[in-house]
Amino acid sequence: MIVQADSLVKKYGGAAAVDGVSFSIEKGQIFGLLGPNGAGKTTTISILSTYLKPTAGEATIDGLSVRRQAGKVREIIGFVPQEIALYPTLTALQNLKFYGKMYGLGGAGLERRCREVLELVELWQRRHDNIEQFSGGMKRRINLGAGLLHSPRFLLLDEPTVGVDPQSREHIFDTIFKIRDNGATILYTSHYMEEVELLCDHIAIMDRGKVIASGTLRELLKMLGEGGVIELEVAPPGCPSGLETEIASQQGVTGVRREDNKVFVSSSNSARSLPPVMKVLESAGCEVGSLELYAPSLEKLFIQLTGKELRE
Amino acid sequence: MRKLGYITAKDLLVVAKDKGAWMTLLVTPLVVIVVVSFALSPVYKGGSLHATLLVTNHDAGGMGKQLTASLAARPNITIQAASDRESETLKQGGNSFGLALVIPKDFSARVQAGQSTQLQVYEDPNSTTSAPFLKGMIDGAVNRFSAVEVAAKVAVAEAVKQNQRADAAAVAGDATAAASAQMSNQPIQAKEQPASGARQLNTFDIETPGFAVMFLLFGVMIGAEGLLEERDKGTLGRLLVAPVSKASIIGGKLVAQFIVSIIQITLLFAVGHFVFSMDIGNTLAGLALMLVATAFTATSFGILLAALTKTRRQASSIGILAILLMSALGGSWWPLDIVPAFMRKLGHLSMNAWALDGIKGIIIQGQGFSDILLPAGVLFIYGSVCFLIGLKMFKLRGP
Ligand SMILES: Nc1ncnc2c1ncn2[C@@H]1O[C@H](COP(=O)(O)OP(=O)(O)OP(=O)(O)O)[C@@H](O)[C@H]1O
Ligand SMILES: [Mg+2]
Repeated sequence: MIVQADSLVKKYGGAAAVDGVSFSIEKGQIFGLLGPNGAGKTTTISILSTYLKPTAGEATIDGLSVRRQAGKVREIIGFVPQEIALYPTLTALQNLKFYGKMYGLGGAGLERRCREVLELVELWQRRHDNIEQFSGGMKRRINLGAGLLHSPRFLLLDEPTVGVDPQSREHIFDTIFKIRDNGATILYTSHYMEEVELLCDHIAIMDRGKVIASGTLRELLKMLGEGGVIELEVAPPGCPSGLETEIASQQGVTGVRREDNKVFVSSSNSARSLPPVMKVLESAGCEVGSLELYAPSLEKLFIQLTGKELRE
Repeated sequence: MRKLGYITAKDLLVVAKDKGAWMTLLVTPLVVIVVVSFALSPVYKGGSLHATLLVTNHDAGGMGKQLTASLAARPNITIQAASDRESETLKQGGNSFGLALVIPKDFSARVQAGQSTQLQVYEDPNSTTSAPFLKGMIDGAVNRFSAVEVAAKVAVAEAVKQNQRADAAAVAGDATAAASAQMSNQPIQAKEQPASGARQLNTFDIETPGFAVMFLLFGVMIGAEGLLEERDKGTLGRLLVAPVSKASIIGGKLVAQFIVSIIQITLLFAVGHFVFSMDIGNTLAGLALMLVATAFTATSFGILLAALTKTRRQASSIGILAILLMSALGGSWWPLDIVPAFMRKLGHLSMNAWALDGIKGIIIQGQGFSDILLPAGVLFIYGSVCFLIGLKMFKLRGP
């Protein structure tokens, strides 16, 4: 086990940006932190990168405390910030050389790594162009590259694909897989669920400073029911309480949740569960206004857990 | 330490590639200096620094003569003895002379006794000539006498305090003699210029230092904005999570700013000297010391500005206000000789005034190395205070 976050809290004034976040990341994993704007992803990643000191809690990276051994942690991590943290008037190569030197690289080693990284992000041809002349996607790729020069064992990526076209995004994904295949462990934040579904071995969903669900993609989708979800809207006065247990006992049903006049039924097989569930409602005198069946997804899970959309 | 150097090198590279910065650092100040110098040249006309000073010497002792001689030794002053009446008429105006000096009867006696004494300087109120600059020279010469006086007073005080039976007057006399001897070695002689006649008063002598110092401050303001921008854009954050010490980060940036400031002010003075024949005085070492002290203080002002403001915008609006205020008060726009005494005192709250005291002292009054130690020293203290406050208050991680 390489990275461990334990009840991390970060408060600004009275408000907690991160409110008791715990998770662990195993060696070689791509760990996804998924959440809407303001969920606390950047704050969490900032604590792990030693940029911010937590108000409470502790995190360790390869056994090193981010609080007490920040200096040592900095040597083994690579950090790619959410914003384009590059010098716009310097060339791609000048930027990379500078950051490489900050990690103690020099001489032929530095030259070689700059070339490798530029080839990895496929911008070697453009190395002598100023950053300000690059497209948004190219800037993102150099931004990523600047965090890779010293071949970090733990790489923290804060929304590295914001504002890039699908092609550049695919490019960045390829790069991330390559880095993982070379043995690095990666923490990846995003508010795009498709991204984490595609990239990550393990996912933690954050909202309002808390981890509200975590596990592998399969485990998370299972929470919704492998066969999908039946969403029923019941006409007023709504579904009487106590009916959930009866619905839950029907064939294939794995979970029931009631919210105002809506009932969400998770099932291992929606098609088979639907008729008995309808029957239960009818015999209780409930009038079903509308009905929706959908396949499980992180998006639906997020709505299920928080009652709101992932993307505003 | 090596990383500090890399950060400095990176910052210098960023500045070197920034055409807009060079516009503010060099082109704009040169344009302003040239325009102002040509526009004001009729004002300073009379048109040479060479002038005749009326001296009425009532002194019974030798010091009055000594003072007169030290003034006469200056290449651009001719001394003419005058009666009281002549000096009086000058006071009423309408005289072709700019200044008159009256030395009182007991001048030597009082100085030797360690008592304070007063020299009277009359200035033609209608004079549009270089009176302020002549007055500066007289002040310089008189100040040296004051120094002698102070030495005498101090010696007396010491003797009394230690309760020795020494004759206070004798001690004062010895001290005065020693100080006088010292004084005669002072740059009055060193200031000797080729006897080929008086140098024309060059308005660039007057305007270049003031505007150079002002634009030096604008230069560091750009640096302060750059520092805040690095913090906003996350490049500073990237360094903070890399294995680099905070001292290297902030040190590297300050060294770079200091180097840029030195280059800027040196180039401005070099253009003034080589293109517009601005005088650079007789002590290149003194001038260099003043420029280094000024650049250091300006750099410290920059970090203080960055520390006291939260955003780039704030740094530029507060910076412009502070710089214009300091420049107006501190003599960057007009010589402080022409403002009321209390404004001159107030002006010395700005770094501009101290910088210009030293620089103009060398360029216009022909002062020597030892004369500028005071303004240079004040600047170093001023800069150190700004530096320490700025360093303590600046937040690398943002507000
Ligand atoms: N320096 C700060 N001062 C005060 N509040 C802050 C500060 N930084 C973050 N916050 C607050 O903490 C919360 C979490 O912010 P954070 O940047 O971690 O969210 P995020 O998940 O990264 O969002 P996004 O997807 O928009 O980047 C937000 O409500 C934000 O307003
Ligand atoms: Mg964020």
